[in-house]
Parts: sequence; structure tokens; C-alpha cells
Amino acid sequence: MTKEERLKKRHRAEKRFRFYGLTSIFVALLFVVILVQNIFSKGSSAFKKTVITTEVFFDQELLEIQNGASQEEIMEADFYDIMIENLIKAYPAKDRDEEDELLKLFSGDAEIEIKKAFLNDNNLIGKTITLDLTASDDIDQLHKGNYPRDLPEERRRISDFQLVIYDYFVENKKISKNFNNYFFNNGDSRDPELAGIGGALVGSFYSILICLLLAFPVAVLASIYLEEFAPKNKITDFIEININNLAAVPSIVYGLLALQILLATIQLPRSTPLVAGITLALMTLPRIIIPCRASLKAVPPSIREGALAVGASKFQSVFHHVVPLALPGTLSGTIIGLAQALGETAPLILIGMVAFVVDIPSSPVDPSSSLPVQVYLWSESAERGFVEKTSATIMMLLSFLIVMNFIAVYLRQKFEKRWN
Amino acid sequence: MNNIKIKSKNLNVYYGDKQALFDVNLDLNEKEVTALIGPSGCGKSTFIRCINRMNDVIDICKVTGNIEMDGMNINDKDLDVVSLRERVGMVFQKPNPFPKSIYDNISYGPKIHGKGETKSELNQIVENSLKKSALWEEVKDRLDEPGTSLSGGQQQRLCIARAISVNPEVILMDEPCSALDPIATAKIEELIDELKKTYTIVIVTHSMAQAVRVSQKTGFFHLGKLIEVGKTEKIFKNPDNKMTQDYITGRFG
Repeated sequence: MTKEERLKKRHRAEKRFRFYGLTSIFVALLFVVILVQNIFSKGSSAFKKTVITTEVFFDQELLEIQNGASQEEIMEADFYDIMIENLIKAYPAKDRDEEDELLKLFSGDAEIEIKKAFLNDNNLIGKTITLDLTASDDIDQLHKGNYPRDLPEERRRISDFQLVIYDYFVENKKISKNFNNYFFNNGDSRDPELAGIGGALVGSFYSILICLLLAFPVAVLASIYLEEFAPKNKITDFIEININNLAAVPSIVYGLLALQILLATIQLPRSTPLVAGITLALMTLPRIIIPCRASLKAVPPSIREGALAVGASKFQSVFHHVVPLALPGTLSGTIIGLAQALGETAPLILIGMVAFVVDIPSSPVDPSSSLPVQVYLWSESAERGFVEKTSATIMMLLSFLIVMNFIAVYLRQKFEKRWN
Repeated sequence: MNNIKIKSKNLNVYYGDKQALFDVNLDLNEKEVTALIGPSGCGKSTFIRCINRMNDVIDICKVTGNIEMDGMNINDKDLDVVSLRERVGMVFQKPNPFPKSIYDNISYGPKIHGKGETKSELNQIVENSLKKSALWEEVKDRLDEPGTSLSGGQQQRLCIARAISVNPEVILMDEPCSALDPIATAKIEELIDELKKTYTIVIVTHSMAQAVRVSQKTGFFHLGKLIEVGKTEKIFKNPDNKMTQDYITGRFG
């Protein structure tokens, strides 16, 4: 081979390699775009809910309370009759059957929504107000265009007559889309139009908080001890190997461990963020220790020697010099560990967080759901309304993860000291 | 003739199975500069790291024999290394200022030893240390800038200032000029000349010329053994040992 041929071959190899590299990046980006596009197109409609503008007349005869009633009285009062009487007026129905079909267009919470209006203003008796009442899941999906109305009637959840009412609402501008506050404030529900991630958000928050409180100090102290103080011998080698192994243990194994020890033996309350936090802390520990040790190791030995040489004790050289320098790396490692814990589903399913929980937990020992488990639960539900809720929950989860990773990168870039 | 400050007797050092120093007997005189020369890996650095027990940080390192400072056994297991290192400062081959301000670099030592209780005392210590290391004029207006922002030579003088801030009796210098340019080197050498009035100095160097310029006494190490020690003039003009002769004339090493 001549010199020129060899040169050409080398250039060709280089070009080929660049092409392969670019192609793989393109393919990777394509997948990300498809994924994000899919989630957004399905999920973005969940942030709006369909409401039916309805006139509500508070008839004294249908209510056992008076104007100016106290909170408790209102809470206990029955608004069912008021609801029925007003809702059936939303459309000129001819008979009981038609009225029943009309009522099904409203959400199961219509009575509560009317009661809330009265709670806000307890002088409404004898007056008529206009309320935006949440529509049922079927109408919601129909209005958002997620539901095909050209199917034959027997294959539709909405009857022909309900479609007529819907068209009447649209024509009279009685139907519109509002910001979906239920999605953020409510717990889980069997009715998609009322279901929200409020409970899952609080549950995830408590779980991650407990995980942080347990895992961070233990992991940091363990790393400092192992990296700076522990003698290098067979025992510490063994510990090091096992920490690396533990980081690779499938998370469901931690779930089984928690099931046996935390739930069966110690008898902690199941389905709670407390147990979830402890389980996630166990899982996250090695995942924090590894980056933490790496950042301690990255502090040049000359800094330790410099401190020791002016007479600092081992403890002083570590805590005055090494730890502050390793802190940015430690913190970003911790945040990434927590981000992983936030997205963890399998161990939480094993400790019973997969239970159907309507109430929003008020403490870490209340039964609760968590964001990834909520995704899992809703993705299994048949109702069309849960499809958009699933994607919207994924969007929330992803945005938390992105924010956490961003903070981690920021901390590292901003505070990491460079030395020559 | 000055008093003997540090005296080593049959000093042996092992790194695991490998012996690094063999029966070193070396006396260092007070307020004098002793230069240690020899090819790389001959044990010069190992020897000076015995004087402030820096070898302790190496797990596999074992030191036997005697090394005394003013009659006190440095190699005693019960000796408090913190107070030893307060008396024996060290300057390393590569400048290693803390990634903190110039002021904090100097004040750190006095603070941990409880010297300079008030702010003004501390300021005084910082100023004196920087003056003694001939850095004061260059940095007095930017004491809160990071020490790492200084040039290599300035960083090394900062490290010397850090070493003298705790008012030690002995300063160990491990090739302090090997990472510096000739001008910075000249400044450090001048400084060493000045410092020897107050401190006992041991300097490890690869430069014969530097040894001749700064030291009064020179020790030649080879393969872990102290081959010859004596007045610098004698070692460089008329060494007793053939190996020393070969080394200083550049025939090996």
C-alpha cells in the first residue's frame, strides 16, 4: 500500500466513525422526541377539565337549613334535592328517562360543588347563581375530542340522546374548558374527572423527605469514614465490593426486604410514606455513597498533606479542607440518588402503596400513593379519562426529575473548586 | 559550630516489604540549611517525611530506629503528631495552597493551634508571615483573593508563609523549586538564606547548584543509604566517596 492509499484509508475510517456517531445521536434524539411528543399529546389535555355552566336556584323548600347557617350545618345538610332539581333544568327533558340521561352528564361531585358554592356564601337561599359544574368523564373526553362519536350507539358509552344534549350545550355555549384544579388537589378516585395526583404528590414528597433524612447523613458519614479514616484491609475491601454490589441490586429486592422486616416483623403501618421512605433510603444509600466517595477521592492528596503539615489533626484536615471541597459532588450525587428514588415503583408496590387511597395523607404514617405508583395504577384503568391522566402524571414526574438533575448539575458547576 | 537540632540513629523505613531507608545516621544543625541530594527514589523525601511523621499517612509505611529533636524521640508512638508538626513545618514539591483566600491560607495554622486569639493578633501573624516569606508587598492589597490565583512562585512563597505562620523551629522543604522558573527559584533561595537565621532548614533538591548556593551541610543519598555527609564545600569540592564524586559531576543519576 502506498503512502497515499494509507492516508485515504485513514480519512475514510475517520469519516465512517463520525457518521456512525452522528447516526446514533440522531436515533437517540428521535426516540426522546417520540416519547416526549407522545406523552405531551396525550397528557396535556388533562390539565383542563370540561365544565357545564348551570344555573342553580337555592330553593328554601328543598333545604333544611336557613340563610346564615354555620359551616357545620352546611356540611351536614343534604344538597341532593337541590342538585337534582337544578340539573334537570339544564336541558328541556321530556320524561324521567331523559332526565336520568341528562344527570349522567355531570360528575359525581355535582352535589359537593353546589354545597361548596353555598359554603362560600351562606345567603344564597332564594337566589339563583351560575355555576361551572364539572362534566362527567364521558362528556369531558368527548369535548376534548378524545372520544369518537361516529361509532354505532351500542359501542359507545354515550347514548344518542346524550349526544343531542351535548350538542345543545355546545350550541348554547354552556360547555367550556377550565383549569383542572382537581388534578392537583384531589386524591385518587374511581371517576377519572375527579381523580388527581394530590395524594400521590404529598406521598412522594414525604417518602423522598424521609429517604433524604435517613440516607444523606448515613451515606455521607459512611463515605467519609471509608475514604478518609478506615484502614485499607480485607474487611474494608469487602465492604467496598458489597457497596458496589448493593447499588446494582434490583429495587424490587429492597421491596421484599421491607415487606419482611418493616411490615411483617416490625409491623410498621403498610402503604405509608414512612415505610416507603425507609425502603427507598436503603436502596439509595449505596447510590449516594459511591459518588460521595468519588468526590472525596477527587480532592488532591496535596490538600490533605498541606493541612496535616501545619499541624491539623486528621479530623481537622478532613472536615476543614477535604469535605468542603467534596461537598458539591456529594450534594449532586445525593440529588441524583433521590431523583432515582422518586421514580422508583417496584419496591413501593410490594409495601402496599399500590392500594387505592382517596384521602390526601396528612402525615407520613397515613396510607398514601406516590407519583410513579399512580402512573402504574392509572395505566391499568379502562376509562379513557385515565389515559390523559397517566400521561399528565408522567409529565409531572419527569419535570420533577429534570428540575432535580438540573439542580445537581448547577451545584456541581457553580461550586466545584478547580485546582491545577 | 551550631548545636545539633535533629539526630537520627539507625533509621530504617519500610514500605510494605520494600526497605526505603537503611540505617541512616544524620545530624541536622540548628539554624543552618542542610541539603539532601541524590538520584530519584533514593530516600531523601522519605527521610525528611520522618522528621514530621508525614509517613504516618501511608498505611504500609513502617519506621524503626531513632530520630530525635532536642532529645525528644520523634518516632515515639505516644508522641502527639499535631504538636510535633507545629514545631516542624513543611513545604512541598508542588505548591499546594488551600483553595481559600490568601488570608485564610496563612491564618489557618495559627487558628487551629489557638494562636492569635483576637482578630488583630491574627492580622499581625498573617502580615509577619507574609513579610518573612517576601510576599507581603505583592499581596497586601488582595488578601481575600484565592491563594490559587497567584503565580507558581508566589504560591510556593505562600506555602512557606503558611509553614512559618505557626512559628515552627524546623522547616522541611521537599524540592520546593522543582515546579518553578529560574526567577521564582532565585527568590525562594534568597528567602531560604534569610529564613535560616531563625529556623533550621532541611531542603531536598535535585539541583547541585542550588545545594551549593543555599546549604551549609549536604548529605548524599543513594538507594536508601546515606553515602556521605559533610560541609557543603567539602562534599562538592573534595568528596570522600567515589559515588558522591560521580553523582555531583553528573556521571550517573
